[in-house]
Amino acid sequence: MNIVEVENLTKRYGAESAVEDLSFVLEKGTATALIGPNGAGKTTSLSMLANLLSPTSGKITMEKDVSLGFLPQYPQFFPWLTAVEFTELAAKISGVETKQARLQSIQTLEFVGLESSLHKKIGSFSGGMKQRLGLAQAIVHRPNLLLLDEPISALDPTGRREIMNLLKSLQQDTTILYSTHILNDAEEMTDQLLFMKDGRLIEQGSLKEVKKKHANPYIQIKFRNHTSALEFVGSHTWKCEVEENLVLIPVSNSGPTMQQVLHILSTEKQDIIGVEFQDASLEEIFLKVVAAK
Amino acid sequence: MKQFFMLLKKEQLENIRNYKIYWIPAIFILLGILEPTTNYFLPQIIESSGGLPEGAVLEIPTPTPEQMLAAIVEQFQTIGIAVLILAYMGTIAGERKSGTATLLYVRPLSFRAYFLSKWTMASVISLVSVWLGFLAGYYYTYLFFGEVELIKVLQMMGTYSVWVLFIMALLLVASAISPNSGFAAAIAFSTYLLIQLTDGLFGLNWTFSPGKIPQYGLEWLIGAPDSSGLWGAIGIAVLLILLLFAIGSWAAQRNKAKTKV
Repeated sequence: MNIVEVENLTKRYGAESAVEDLSFVLEKGTATALIGPNGAGKTTSLSMLANLLSPTSGKITMEKDVSLGFLPQYPQFFPWLTAVEFTELAAKISGVETKQARLQSIQTLEFVGLESSLHKKIGSFSGGMKQRLGLAQAIVHRPNLLLLDEPISALDPTGRREIMNLLKSLQQDTTILYSTHILNDAEEMTDQLLFMKDGRLIEQGSLKEVKKKHANPYIQIKFRNHTSALEFVGSHTWKCEVEENLVLIPVSNSGPTMQQVLHILSTEKQDIIGVEFQDASLEEIFLKVVAAK
Repeated sequence: MKQFFMLLKKEQLENIRNYKIYWIPAIFILLGILEPTTNYFLPQIIESSGGLPEGAVLEIPTPTPEQMLAAIVEQFQTIGIAVLILAYMGTIAGERKSGTATLLYVRPLSFRAYFLSKWTMASVISLVSVWLGFLAGYYYTYLFFGEVELIKVLQMMGTYSVWVLFIMALLLVASAISPNSGFAAAIAFSTYLLIQLTDGLFGLNWTFSPGKIPQYGLEWLIGAPDSSGLWGAIGIAVLLILLLFAIGSWAAQRNKAKTKV
């Protein structure tokens, strides 16, 4: 069931096009990663979905009872408010009852790891704490649609891991659309990928679909030396490449399977160090798709 | 209404924590006190700054208490209004420019409540400052220059308060329509001067001009202002304030796309 349907969304500033003809759907309870280089139109797309920007043309259809949570890339806060005062205000404006708002604020701040800073003024927060607070304000009213603009890019590796874990735990009840350029993390939490470049959607699909379409997996055999690698290649007719002491065999319908390779290696008693199945990373696929378009 | 009160609380906290609730009244009190004290001690001030050249005679007529109160209003009309404009020019434009408004604008926010809460808080602080400043000035005027009936002073202050409310609505609208605080201040200053200028040029024929309200206020001190002119000007000011509410709420909503994301 679709919670959001985006049809031919376009945003132009004069002759300049920030987003052009963008179409996709978000299914309930899924996580979608919006991936693209700087200036691809990710923030503009999210701002239109968050109703901050009006599209020049196109349509956004949301399910009737959508409650929205939004985290901008660089969330700005009133520095004179405390964390709990801010999240409470955010909850109340989003329609949460006064008593419940206080309770939910405290619970949410604990959830994002700010339990020791509930009553500290936001002006004294570090960048990482502000990012956590940003997430807290986005989820304090228990939204069913979460739009996150680069939620982890400003964080150190530990902070990134923690926030990713938090987001994964939210995924059960919430539909998440997030933009990122940290593709290793996107690979971890995504049901759908949207690749954008120059305001246009250049690829979309599940991780499996995109990989099937663009990744070129291969079997990598590591020999003890270059001579052994060359001997192995000379004794077989498979299409393969040699790089120093490595032999790379592309996985294809005409090539051998991993099982066949292992069988041959064990019967021929080759001088090998190891065998690995190598798949393209999301980053490699993304670079390939961007370069192709 | 619910959103109005929660936003008003936010404004109240902001004004307390950035000390506006203290320094704005302090400036007005200073302005109020400065006028009667400098006038009263003028001979000593001249003396301590070197005195007059030998043979020169300076006759300074002692102002009446009514003239002294009028001079205080004059101070409020120039420095006082400038202070208020500088203090509140960024109320909406500044929040948008810094991006702090973004996290409010993505919620089901009532822009009418948003605008009204800001105007209410700014007006309360401005009125309290003006009243405290004027009462302080009145006290020193009473000490140094003699008594003016308190009821007359209160009538004057009540009338002047309508003018302050009008100026604050104008300032908040300037902030709602402007891309940044500086621009908001420029619009507010120019409109303020334009009102004064228009009143100066056509005021004789247009007795309902809101620009006349401070003048009507002062007339309470020496008798009573022309009743139909006073109520006409107040009526028009109130209507303009209501119109400014509508424009301000609309402009704040319309410009939400300009908030920094």
